Amino acid sequence: MKKKVFLPLLMAIFVLMFLFSATVTTAPAKDKIVVGMSRPLSGPMAKIGDSAFRPVYETFVAEVNAQGGIFVKEFNKKLPIELKVYDDKSDTGTMTRLTEKLILEDKVDFLWPACGTHNIFAQAPIANKYSYILLTAEGGATSITPMLQSLPYLFISLSFSDWYQIPVWADLLAEKGAKTAYIISMADLFGIEYAGVSSIELPKRGINIVGIKSVPPDIKDLSTILKEAQKTKADALMVLAYPDAVILATKQSMEIGYNPKAFLGGPGVNFGFYHAIFGPATEGVSGFSMANRKTSPAMKELFDKLYKNKPEAANDWWGHPLYWAGYEFWKQAIEKAGTLDQKKIKDVMVAETFNTVLGPTSFKGGLMAKESHTGEIGQWQKGLFETVGGGKWPNTKVTAPFVYPKPKWPVPAPAKK
Amino acid sequence: MIVEILDIVIAGLLLGGLYALIAMGLSLQYGVARVLNISHGEFIMLGALGAWFLFGFGVNPLVSLAICGPVTFIIGFLLYRTVFTRLRTSSASIGAYEGSSMLASFGLLFIIQSIALIAWGSGIKGYTYLAFPVNVGGALFAANRLVALAFAVFLGLVFYFFLVRTRLGKAIRAAAQDPATAGLMGVNINQVLALCFGLGAMMAGFAGLLISICYPVNTTMGLEYTIITIIVVVLGGLGSIPGSFIGGFILGLIGSIVTYLEPGLSLAAYYVLFMLLLLVRPTGILGK
Repeated sequence: MKKKVFLPLLMAIFVLMFLFSATVTTAPAKDKIVVGMSRPLSGPMAKIGDSAFRPVYETFVAEVNAQGGIFVKEFNKKLPIELKVYDDKSDTGTMTRLTEKLILEDKVDFLWPACGTHNIFAQAPIANKYSYILLTAEGGATSITPMLQSLPYLFISLSFSDWYQIPVWADLLAEKGAKTAYIISMADLFGIEYAGVSSIELPKRGINIVGIKSVPPDIKDLSTILKEAQKTKADALMVLAYPDAVILATKQSMEIGYNPKAFLGGPGVNFGFYHAIFGPATEGVSGFSMANRKTSPAMKELFDKLYKNKPEAANDWWGHPLYWAGYEFWKQAIEKAGTLDQKKIKDVMVAETFNTVLGPTSFKGGLMAKESHTGEIGQWQKGLFETVGGGKWPNTKVTAPFVYPKPKWPVPAPAKK
Repeated sequence: MIVEILDIVIAGLLLGGLYALIAMGLSLQYGVARVLNISHGEFIMLGALGAWFLFGFGVNPLVSLAICGPVTFIIGFLLYRTVFTRLRTSSASIGAYEGSSMLASFGLLFIIQSIALIAWGSGIKGYTYLAFPVNVGGALFAANRLVALAFAVFLGLVFYFFLVRTRLGKAIRAAAQDPATAGLMGVNINQVLALCFGLGAMMAGFAGLLISICYPVNTTMGLEYTIITIIVVVLGGLGSIPGSFIGGFILGLIGSIVTYLEPGLSLAAYYVLFMLLLLVRPTGILGK
């Protein structure tokens, strides 16, 4: 009797064990897409990250989830996005560690970008090593462009110095007859890239660079450098630095009564906080740009959505449309690939053109095609950051002519918050 | 040439005045209250953001001095009475207290910065005030910077005379020399040390307000000023109030000269100076 029971019991145990092991080894049904990010939620880069990509990804995720998520054919349903965001405290070393943690420990489905040109350099090889798509937000890529062939998972969304801002800026100056420029650039990769490209593009158009000074990011006084620039009587002053230095240069130019015919500052001039700080004194100041509400109805809808019930300081007329377009593109690539497999989605991103808020949008050689850009250079005119220059492509929409020379700073500058 | 030299010297003094004010506060906190306050920069940030916030309601920044100063004083005073007094009384030695109070101030840095981030966000803030040039001997300077320098010097001198001429100042100096004996002589040590910490915080608040007149500000600005302040305090002599005052101006001048010659080296020059000091004269200019 005992033997009769034992054998069926043993078989039943084996069957149960098989079923159990089959259950645990089968992938659980997917119910969300987990996106991981290492972001500067504190530290000196927080002021850039919080104004640039953060408002876009927060609005984008909320909108996608309100629609039920992204449809993935492989699972035959829409999957909402869940964000997992770590604070890298504006430290590149911490950012690289957190990026590996997101990939290896958290096993996120997608990696979204850290903040800044130098961080693209640091994060791209990690993402590529683990075959994770990295669609960047804040940060230029002049130096990394020659390496893009060896970084197939890297996609750059933002426009930058030679893609295609400085050539357009040089064209604008040359058309107006500017002959000389003085450059103040930040002593980091961003400043090196922009100053380097300017040193090539401006002389090509007959504009002589009469002075170039590299300054540390946390410089506290630019007055002696601005006075030197003033003495050169350069037609254009270019402050190629992050917002702190751009705002300092603007303040101190006003304070010493230095009025170059053209003033380009960036990034910083493109943000609403620049206008919120200086008010009407911004008239004629130029910066890097992509679009404004006049660019297209789709762009107006985007800006209305992003800036609804938000102070002017939250506006960004350069990066926001590009980040949004980049992630619209990413969503469509997932839907087209019908899977969460990084390689298949990457192949779609390389090959396809999708309609985004910019219009027809594509990536060429890892960079968002410059033909997708709607503008390159902006200028504050009557409280609006008008697009005054862009490439000669179908998407380009110049919304106002370039004013040169720019009006002088108001004297005394009005008190303005 | 003379105008150029004037440009560099006055620009250095303008910056140095702010450094001096900030450093006097930390010097007092360390010299008397024995707290190497790493969160000192956060009180600068509170003063700066407070001025910016009040400016939004139309309050003149110079009027805001009368609001931001007392508020930062009260915060500093209460923090000392609650956090640091407990640490001091429970520490086995002054060395142990200095270590634990420095760690506590690290914590305060993160707490104050995080509260400010929640309240004001991390974006860059600023306003324009007296942003027009003034001719000084042929060199042009911003009116707001000259006003900031005048107030920094005025506040520094008032503070110095308060320490050397008043009865309370004498009690503070006594507490700095020997807290135990000062206590035996009838000085209420807990109260005096808290007062010193509060006054240090108030100086930082004042400096932050004057910084906001000249520079863009944000909630994460504090640490960079703390680092500069520590360099100034070491330069002037740890705990020496007049030393910090002089050290601030010296550092401002060095920064201005190096910025003129090679701006990329301005911050490096501060650290080189710091290293040289530690090697050649670790007690600083007026330190003992």
